[in-house]
Amino acid sequence: MSLLQLEGATIRFGGLVAVNNVSFSVEKGDLFGLIGPNGAGKTTCFNLITGVYKPTSGSIKFRGSELSGTPPNKVAQLGIARTFQNIRLFQSLTVLENVVVAAYLRHRVALPSALLYLPSAIAETERLKAEAMRLLEVLDLDRRAQVRSADLPYGMQRRLEIARAMATKPELLLLDEPAAGMNPQESDDLLLTVRQIRENFAMTVLLIEHDMRFVMNLCEKIVVLDHGIEIAQGPPETIRNHPKVIEAYLGEAV
Amino acid sequence: MDLTHSLLGAVDFGLLPQQVVNGILLGSIYALIALGYTMVYGVLRLINFAHGEVFMLGAYVSLFVAWGLGFGPGPVSPDQTSNWVNLVIMLVASMGVCAAVGMFIEFFAYRPMRNQPRIASLITAIGVSLLLQYAGALFLPNSPPVPIREEVNPYRANVLDVPLKPKSADLLAQTKQAQVALDEAERTLKDTVAAEGIKSEFDLSPEGKKVRDARNAARTKATVTQNAYDQSGLSLRIPYGQLIMFLTSIGLMLILRHVVMNTAPGRAMRAVSLDYDSASLMGVNVGRIITLTFAIGSALAGAGAMMNATFLGTPLTTFFGMQPGVKAFVAAVLGGIGNIPGAVLGGLLMGIAETLVVWVGYGDYKDAIAFVILILVLLFRPGGLLGSAKVEKV
Amino acid sequence: MYWPVRLASILAAVGGCFLLDALARGVDDYARRLIVLAGIWVILSVSLNLINGITGQFSIGHAAFWQVGAYTAGYLSVTFHGKWGIDGLPWMILMMALGALMAAVAGLIVGLPSLRLRGDYLAIVTLGFGEIIRIVVQNQKPLGEAYGMNVQPKFQTVWLVWLMAIVCIAVCRNLLRTAHGLPFLAVREDEVAAGAMGVNVTQVKVTAFLIGSAFAGVAGALLAHYEGFISPQMFKMEQSFIILTMVVLGGTGSITGATIAAVALFYLPERLRDAPPVTGAALLGGLIGTIVAVVLVKRTVDRFHGPKIGAATRYIGSVVAGIVLSLALGAGFGMIPKLASQSFEAEKLRMVIFAGVLIILMLIRPQGILGTNEFSLDWVKSLLRKRKAVEA
Ligand SMILES: Nc1ncnc2c1ncn2[C@@H]1O[C@H](COP(=O)(O)OP(=O)(O)O)[C@@H](O)[C@H]1O
Ligand SMILES: [Mg+2]
Repeated sequence: MSLLQLEGATIRFGGLVAVNNVSFSVEKGDLFGLIGPNGAGKTTCFNLITGVYKPTSGSIKFRGSELSGTPPNKVAQLGIARTFQNIRLFQSLTVLENVVVAAYLRHRVALPSALLYLPSAIAETERLKAEAMRLLEVLDLDRRAQVRSADLPYGMQRRLEIARAMATKPELLLLDEPAAGMNPQESDDLLLTVRQIRENFAMTVLLIEHDMRFVMNLCEKIVVLDHGIEIAQGPPETIRNHPKVIEAYLGEAV
Repeated sequence: MDLTHSLLGAVDFGLLPQQVVNGILLGSIYALIALGYTMVYGVLRLINFAHGEVFMLGAYVSLFVAWGLGFGPGPVSPDQTSNWVNLVIMLVASMGVCAAVGMFIEFFAYRPMRNQPRIASLITAIGVSLLLQYAGALFLPNSPPVPIREEVNPYRANVLDVPLKPKSADLLAQTKQAQVALDEAERTLKDTVAAEGIKSEFDLSPEGKKVRDARNAARTKATVTQNAYDQSGLSLRIPYGQLIMFLTSIGLMLILRHVVMNTAPGRAMRAVSLDYDSASLMGVNVGRIITLTFAIGSALAGAGAMMNATFLGTPLTTFFGMQPGVKAFVAAVLGGIGNIPGAVLGGLLMGIAETLVVWVGYGDYKDAIAFVILILVLLFRPGGLLGSAKVEKV
Repeated sequence: MYWPVRLASILAAVGGCFLLDALARGVDDYARRLIVLAGIWVILSVSLNLINGITGQFSIGHAAFWQVGAYTAGYLSVTFHGKWGIDGLPWMILMMALGALMAAVAGLIVGLPSLRLRGDYLAIVTLGFGEIIRIVVQNQKPLGEAYGMNVQPKFQTVWLVWLMAIVCIAVCRNLLRTAHGLPFLAVREDEVAAGAMGVNVTQVKVTAFLIGSAFAGVAGALLAHYEGFISPQMFKMEQSFIILTMVVLGGTGSITGATIAAVALFYLPERLRDAPPVTGAALLGGLIGTIVAVVLVKRTVDRFHGPKIGAATRYIGSVVAGIVLSLALGAGFGMIPKLASQSFEAEKLRMVIFAGVLIILMLIRPQGILGTNEFSLDWVKSLLRKRKAVEA
């Protein structure tokens, strides 16, 4: 059984079919790439998987059970976490608080104890903060823990998005253009970090990326979308030489 | 069936068309105010709570102009007559002053808040609204509430009568018959009086009294049949003043539509409303457009205020702008805020709903009905009737 | 160390309330009533802050929950007091609980649209619910219609009101001190992202409305039993606006700010009631002086980026200039007989001043008095540290 399986996933916005009959499977442990030119429907795929939009038709299965129609917070609970292409941090919260929000998903103490400030709630808060700190260390953000997230430099905001997603303890991590806007040095560091995350946290990673070098170096399997349609699928070597992909990226070095 | 009966009591549904017309007339005022809300919201995303107070000031301007023209505040001399020029002067003055007040408020209260969180602008708007109400109360006559003298309306005696259903021919015949019978009876009575040689019918002999009773019966019958005949048809009655009010509102809305759709500032206004930042990057002078929006919206409120005060006779206090203001805002949201035809539709619906609620005997709940409709509509069409709910792109 | 500290702070709170109560016995009825009402406004402001400031749900009909609490408690007291075998404090506690319960039910009903509506749309719906509730109440015979109803028995204590205010503050504060408060803040910041991180947005919003409206209901029960009389007039739309203003003026999301602003905004117009009448000359002078001071302060806020000391000097200078100008102009205008003879009563001026202060504060400090800060020793220390850093 695949970890994540899309079968004929389709969504229309009025006249536009943003994702058209897309099927692919992500196996446990994969480092899977989702690429395609701008407006191809990649982000929309993520939105379908995470329950932001409901597919018009087709099915999306996670560990064999149907996802479509599940609200986003339930999807997160099931073990899928994501980052956003256009960074959506909780801007006026600190870096640490951003991550704790996500870690809170696995909380065990009920709200009334918190309202009464009972020791159990305090202990849990400490535990979640400690967990969040560990993730910040992984992404090299620990020294900025108390900074307002809106005040972070851009590259760090992207990393914070990843730390936050990881804090929900997902099985499947969806990264939407994690290297966008980073310089080559930052991008290389990120590449190592993503590899490390997969090794150390046993997470499966599905990532969208524009930077071809980044994807080709990192991913073992790749799906290519163009105008909502899936045009190719396979390991990097196949994709690199696929005529349709070359056509879609016309002019761009693949 | 039973339920309808008990809830609606003795409502005569034959009068429904008249009530709907009354509602539309009232609604045209709501629509005028709602346009100001919707336009300002369109460009600034600000609920301009002070708009109701601009409306209030417009009514006071009309009042003072009416006074200046000789209609108050003291007794009005019987030979003081009005004509349409007076009405136009009041309308123009009210629109002009309101436009100025709107621009003034925008410049001093909202412009400095342009880059602040929206809730801060909202609080400022509430502050301006309170300030105008209470500062106004210091200087403007408002206790007891003052109405505009109805003598200023030269058409107050004229009513447009639109027949919907012709009057019954049967009843007409009966009426004529009864009239003939009555004339006959009168003549007999007069003869009897003359025959008895007395001056007044009150001195009649017992036999003579019988003749008088017969005359009285004939008179009653004539009145009853006449009334039955009068009421047998159905017609819409619209006072000229309210008709003028309605037509003026429609005219102003058409002008607005033309300005927004076909002129350069109108296009700029729509651009700002679609995307504030892009519009300013594209060289639209956003500041000027916002000023213009406030001026136009406030002028429309001024027109509504003048007509409301003159033709509907609402007495003025400096606090009276609040209720119509809130209702007009609800109308704007109902139609889809930021949407100009929506504001008109919402305003008319609001007027109709309110009139009908009063008509069926739930006048106490008049002020609640606006909100009930609003909540129902928003739950099923979160963007309002003509607006579209934006799905946030993620 | 947890329990000793906890118990001590609880004791301190309760003790403080009784101390206040004891002190309030020394003042006249009017002053005592102000103390009580200030406490009630604190509850209203802090509870709306939970919905509006912390969770970001733009609710502007808070007075409705207040009213539901007041009428629930008032009606039950009038109808059932003496029949259930309890009296005094236990009865009052029961009334507060039932007032809170009914207000929470109303909060639930109002909170549900918040699941579909955002921003201004939610605002207008909450406003609408408030009006509907008020109008429905004002047409019920048993509730005294528009005339209002007398509430018997009265329960007039200072300590209970302020204890409830402290409980309200503590509940919000506790929420924010634990991880459980973060989902609320996350919903305010970005609903989509919060949902994607597993926050149950629906549940968070409804919880905020439930807790917030329940406390408003408690405030209503307290008001009804303190005043012994309630009427629909006491819960008008303007009251909702005033509560909202307290929240925003305090600094959206700041509990300390909401508390301070509630007390300040309540006292300002009340104190103005007793002020002597003002001549037209003084009024005009004051107006011009104020405008000048505001313009000067605003310029400093916008353009001055030097050390804090410099800014403070400028602020003080502006205010002094404004006052001097007001007095001078007032005296000058006093020469004009027409202006000198006009007299305005304070009662009529107070709402004008209130509105003016509101606008001025928003123009000068739109983020509210405290911004998003909370009062704590750490915050004071960090302020001092910043100042030293700037000086050095
Ligand atoms: N909520 C929406 N409403 C309408 N169109 C949308 C919406 N979300 C995405 N689209 C459209 O779907 C297409 C695919 O978008 P997206 O998935 O963001 O592309 P990308 O592959 O660059 O991530 C685009 O044309 C976009 O405009
Ligand atoms: Mg994308």
